Amino acid sequence: MPEITVLGLSKTFGKAAALSDVSFSVRDKEFLTLLGPSGCGKTTTLMSIAGFQRPDEGLISCGERAFFDGARNVCLAAEDRNLGMVFQSYAIWPHLTVFANVAFPLKIRRTKRDALRRKVMETLELVEMADLAGRYPHELSGGQQQRVALARALVYSPEVLLLDEPFSNLDAKLRERARTWLKRLQGELGLTMLFVTHDQDEALSLSDRIVVMNGGKVLQTGTPEEIYRNPASRVVADFLGRCNIMTAKVATVAGVAPPGGPVSLVLTANGQPVTVAIPHANLAAGDEVQLAVRPEAVEILGPDSAAGSPAESAAAENTYLAELRTVSFLGDHYVYELNADGQALTVTSTKSVAGPSVMVRIPRSACKVLPA
Amino acid sequence: MTLRATARPAPAGAEVPAGHGRTPGTRPRRLVPETGLQAIIWVITGLCVLCPVLPLLYASVRSLPVYESGGGFTLAAYGQLFADPAFRAAAVNTLEFAGVTTVCSVLLGAGLAVAVSRTDVPGGRGYSRLLIAPVVLPPLGLILGWNALYGPGGYAHQFVNDTLHIPFNLSTVPGMAVLGTAVAVPVVFLVCQAALSGIGPELENAARSVGAPPLRVLARVTVPMLRPALLNAGLLVFTLSIESLGIPLVLGSPQGHDFVASYLYNTWSSGSTPDPPIVSAGATVLLACACLLLLLRGRLLGDQARFVSIGGRGGGQAPVLKLGPVARWAACALIALYLAATTFAPIAALALSSVVSELTPLVAPWHLLTAASWRAIGRGDYVSSIRNSLEIALVGAVITAALVALATAVAHRSRFRLRQSLPFILLFPRAIPGIIIGIGFFWSFVIVNPPGHALLNSIWGIMLALSVRSLTLAYFVMSGAFATVSDSLDDAARSGGAGWWTTMTRITLPIVRPALFVSFVLLFVSILNDYDPALFLVTPGNQIMGVTMLQTLQAGTTGPVAALAMVQVAITVAAIAVAARLFTTRVRGSRNA
Repeated sequence: MPEITVLGLSKTFGKAAALSDVSFSVRDKEFLTLLGPSGCGKTTTLMSIAGFQRPDEGLISCGERAFFDGARNVCLAAEDRNLGMVFQSYAIWPHLTVFANVAFPLKIRRTKRDALRRKVMETLELVEMADLAGRYPHELSGGQQQRVALARALVYSPEVLLLDEPFSNLDAKLRERARTWLKRLQGELGLTMLFVTHDQDEALSLSDRIVVMNGGKVLQTGTPEEIYRNPASRVVADFLGRCNIMTAKVATVAGVAPPGGPVSLVLTANGQPVTVAIPHANLAAGDEVQLAVRPEAVEILGPDSAAGSPAESAAAENTYLAELRTVSFLGDHYVYELNADGQALTVTSTKSVAGPSVMVRIPRSACKVLPA
Repeated sequence: MTLRATARPAPAGAEVPAGHGRTPGTRPRRLVPETGLQAIIWVITGLCVLCPVLPLLYASVRSLPVYESGGGFTLAAYGQLFADPAFRAAAVNTLEFAGVTTVCSVLLGAGLAVAVSRTDVPGGRGYSRLLIAPVVLPPLGLILGWNALYGPGGYAHQFVNDTLHIPFNLSTVPGMAVLGTAVAVPVVFLVCQAALSGIGPELENAARSVGAPPLRVLARVTVPMLRPALLNAGLLVFTLSIESLGIPLVLGSPQGHDFVASYLYNTWSSGSTPDPPIVSAGATVLLACACLLLLLRGRLLGDQARFVSIGGRGGGQAPVLKLGPVARWAACALIALYLAATTFAPIAALALSSVVSELTPLVAPWHLLTAASWRAIGRGDYVSSIRNSLEIALVGAVITAALVALATAVAHRSRFRLRQSLPFILLFPRAIPGIIIGIGFFWSFVIVNPPGHALLNSIWGIMLALSVRSLTLAYFVMSGAFATVSDSLDDAARSGGAGWWTTMTRITLPIVRPALFVSFVLLFVSILNDYDPALFLVTPGNQIMGVTMLQTLQAGTTGPVAALAMVQVAITVAAIAVAARLFTTRVRGSRNA
């Protein structure tokens, strides 16, 4: 299967820019996710690739074939792109049975009757819908409709499968099952998939790579782990998982710090020191930076009494005494809302501690300095 | 009218004490139990709709008119009706007319709807407005316009017959069916367009994404999904066609081509005995046909669930079929030609015939210019019929809009036990032929006195009949509007302690204010231009425009009739224009808010 390349895609609706200079590529057999809040341009991008929207400029190609080339005024019709698409609303044709819905693409391709029947039934087997082939869409549940939509998009073995928030109409339990099922299917069939969602859990659990979008721009591209551990900006950090964002000032730079070397900062909120390891060295004393700290990276040392005298503990690196504001129990872990002398902190931990105050430590490696 | 006054026994202020009852545990008190209110609304609505039907059935099986004592039960009127060759000829004509009209208008209307909403014909949006124009234009005006243009002696009659060599006679049954088609196309167009806009773009996009070329998408997905709409539109047009009165009365009757409705009217107005039972029997037969068609429609449309498309979000609809540059403009020109020939040229011919002394293509019209017709309608009976029409349209529209709004609220937003009967009651008047409403109200006014005779001898009886006939229009608008307002908005008000009446008058109805306004304007225009029922209720001195026009026309005068029709057209266009303007500013205002 060829790879899809999107280069410098731009589109405006009236005066509002829906897409500006969007570029990425979907590799062979890859599961790529476009992730972003609603209105970020992810669906517009998908619709441009599918051929239902025409970008103003840029290039979309699939292998050697140009789908869209703004410079050469090439725009291949949607029906000629040989892509599979699963719509958010499923778009199952209500006047046709499940079988006829899935058979339609093959009829367009003039498949012989026997082959058609065999292929349709095979695909329906694959999505576990074979015994409901004679039903009409209104007789199906949401999850079943969703599988029919997938079968219809798979039956003619398209080069790439596009999915537009296919799970958003399912309830939480069903959504989780559909996720594992889709992931398995992708592995078995070796499909190339481009997936659009605003659900970060979905993106993290399914994708080989994620393209994070906001305001019509690509913010970051990378594997789920890369993006989660090293968010390129505050927006990405905020959008993907929970994150503590703290502002701090650079106090000293230890000589010409080597990349990864320690830098001392002072938290703006409470004036306490924090030492971080930074990947780049172009920081000068007095610079203001933003630190991103994942809640699960903060260590809870225990209630203050158990950690010796507060003064002694506080002397250790990046260790703070914090007042316990609220505790929520979420089954497999606790979420603590803390206040460390004016600096709010959210911490998740499996450890159960009682207030009124606790000692916490933020490991050096857990503090990511966000690019200004 | 006394009945209507009791429709609002509990003004919104009646619940003020409830607002002050803030002590915990105090349930809001209501002066009138809400079920009582809902029952009153239900009874009034039911009475208005059943009023014309029951007395008609009764009158059709009496040996003497109901106001004469001594009559007994008899089916003689039915026997007499079916034995009358004139009735049988009229029935055959009616069926032929309705059949041709239905087939032609469904094909044409559906084709136009698909062309306008699924191809890139230039001016599609403008066309979709112009194509529905005949729905709001005065029906009588359109008929007279066609007569002035294509009728024998009309301006274009010679051109069509001699230059184009199309043997066309507007006064024959097929000729009338051509006009019937032009009148019915907007109905089909509206139904199909609504259905088309309900088919989410995803369904067609899905077909394209699996590789179907545009024509295939139209043929395999779009048109099959229109099937219920086509069936619905077809039955609707057929039902409307069998009750046509204006078309045969103006065009066919003078040449001896009667329809059932015109046969009944002519028998009524020129029979040797007054108020013959045979007319009531004929009207009952017509009513039975209409009811059967209504039932059939309900049955056939019952299994519609599978055509309801699932989910989907809004968004622009890209044209499915891109016509080539030549085909695009050819289609555009064809639609323009159709609009000109069926709507604009007839109205222009009507205007022209109102300012000439004689309707003839033989002499250039500027040699015959005269203001006599317009001067004529400024005097005497003409003026009073214009004034009467405006009065009943205004008052009738206000009262009917209010009643229908409340009835819709009971039907769709209450727990009233009989609420499910209301949609049927509200839809029923559209299924009853206009002349039945006329004859039926005549009998109920005769039987129920007071207030019957007072109503019969004033314009208010006509207003009642015309209002009942039009109320389904308002129900269409209001039920559509109610469907867009989430139940949770009502529930929120009710959980806050508001009763049904307060919830409706303070929350739900204010939210659908634009729809209330639209239903008022539609009612105004419809009551103003309607005439079928009034033909049977008019008494000397209580004329309305439509009846005056028909009676003057039958007396052989055309000029003032054309002028009156132009007055109707002008008022209608003005009302719609004002409404459209107010409506768009309101919508814009609420969007900004």
